Amino acid sequence: MNAPNRYELYVLEEGERPVEVTEDTKIPNAATVKIVKQDHTLANLLRSQLLSMPQVTFAGYKVPHPLHPYFLLKIQTDGSVTPTQVLETACTKLIGTIATLEAKFKREFTYNADGAVQEDAYGVPVTGDGLEGRSYIDF
Amino acid sequence: MARVPVAIDMVEIETNTTVLPDEFIAHRLGMIPLVSTNCDEAMRYTRDCTCEVRCTYCAIELMLNVSCHDGGHTMDITSDMLEVVPTSRPGFGGFDVDADGSEELAKRVESFGHPIGQGDPSTPPILICKIRKGQELRIRCIAKKGIAKEHSKWSPCAAVGFEYDPHNKLRHTSYWFEYDARSEWPLSENAKDEEPARDDLPFDYNAKPEKFYMDVETDGSLGAQEVVMKGLAELQTKLANLVLGLKGDPPETDGFQNGAAALGGPANGAEPAAAAWGAPGGGGGWSPARGGAGAGGGATSTWGAGAGGGSTSTWGASPSRGAGGGATGTWGNSPAAASGGWGAPAGGSGSGGGTAGGWGSPAAGAGWGSPSQTQNGWNV
Repeated sequence: MNAPNRYELYVLEEGERPVEVTEDTKIPNAATVKIVKQDHTLANLLRSQLLSMPQVTFAGYKVPHPLHPYFLLKIQTDGSVTPTQVLETACTKLIGTIATLEAKFKREFTYNADGAVQEDAYGVPVTGDGLEGRSYIDF
Repeated sequence: MARVPVAIDMVEIETNTTVLPDEFIAHRLGMIPLVSTNCDEAMRYTRDCTCEVRCTYCAIELMLNVSCHDGGHTMDITSDMLEVVPTSRPGFGGFDVDADGSEELAKRVESFGHPIGQGDPSTPPILICKIRKGQELRIRCIAKKGIAKEHSKWSPCAAVGFEYDPHNKLRHTSYWFEYDARSEWPLSENAKDEEPARDDLPFDYNAKPEKFYMDVETDGSLGAQEVVMKGLAELQTKLANLVLGLKGDPPETDGFQNGAAALGGPANGAEPAAAAWGAPGGGGGWSPARGGAGAGGGATSTWGAGAGGGSTSTWGASPSRGAGGGATGTWGNSPAAASGGWGAPAGGSGSGGGTAGGWGSPAAGAGWGSPSQTQNGWNV
């Protein structure tokens, strides 16, 4: 069979660059970023983060072909920063957001392991014995 | 997407005299969830493994050998009858078993790779096939690690739910109704956490959804908490790899090796690639020594996923640059400056990073030279 290996959808090939930035020749402060071996998961995340940033005048993405594992992210800024810089800032902010969410999730889960708040007299959560016996032990 | 449980990937059928065809059974076997706790650290992908075909570190072998001699009844072949071949068996896979993988085996829980609920009378086993007298099924299965993008059998999630605004206060949807939408439409469980819309207040059309409800149900191969944590870590890994890529320093990971996989690969400090980066004036060139493998800088920057605590994870913004190039305008950036990393949830963005800043303006003398603290996206 000539079907390509399925892992080629998400594993970078030897020497392949994950990101390629092409500056737009006709529109000022605009660039198209080609990100390979990624899909809507990352693309949509970045797009919405970029749109929430005031320096960005345009952000959009497309997956040109569903069988080709890359997407194009088009960014135009107001000129105060370059599209590459703003994309980097967006990534940093997103990582921060996710880290916050992760910390909050972790904290909540210690309280709500069995759907009830288990605390000792000092308000310190008591680790229940049921849930975290096997599956969660590695956290 | 990539929360990497273990599932049966290959099946060698020795004898199959059941009524089901081979591929039918192989497909059913693949769907059986196997205990995969901590499997992103406890197991390797076969494609990343050093072995030639497979070994104990990247594959788990399961045997099934059932025949029916009882004339009166049909017999059930269930997932409980799958037996995991002990990994300590020498020569599994038949090829070199290197010594450095022992830590991976140590991270495995005792029941790693077993069908879930095996030996647990409260969990009904999964039916694979039914046989009658004289029929037999004898097979050997190889379970491997994979991600759900490749095949959904590698997805630990059985159901994922998402909801916001259960009272429809924001009016993002409109309910069909005969007489009264409120009495005809049931409220979800999540509605208990929010106040219903009040009729005496005007509609706030500027309001934005603030609470989001996610339900995660797994098939048992991983815990729901583990799935969520791994999912968040995976997103961070993707973003971090993208930042690395933007900095012009291609990361050598495939982007899916989760967790503390060192972002770095072979040191190639003096490769011709440096020429591409050579500043026109400097002539020296800026050769990125890709962290990890001990280029001159000797700095190994790891980006530990799961940066929530912020204490251990540092994401060295630039893994030891300019190690072999001898460039004049190297980026004076030591990974030590990157402590703190992505971890600080309060700041939104971490404090580290030093001067890893983006594309320094080309006007600044020697090409990419000497970006200032303010040029990067880190110290905002």
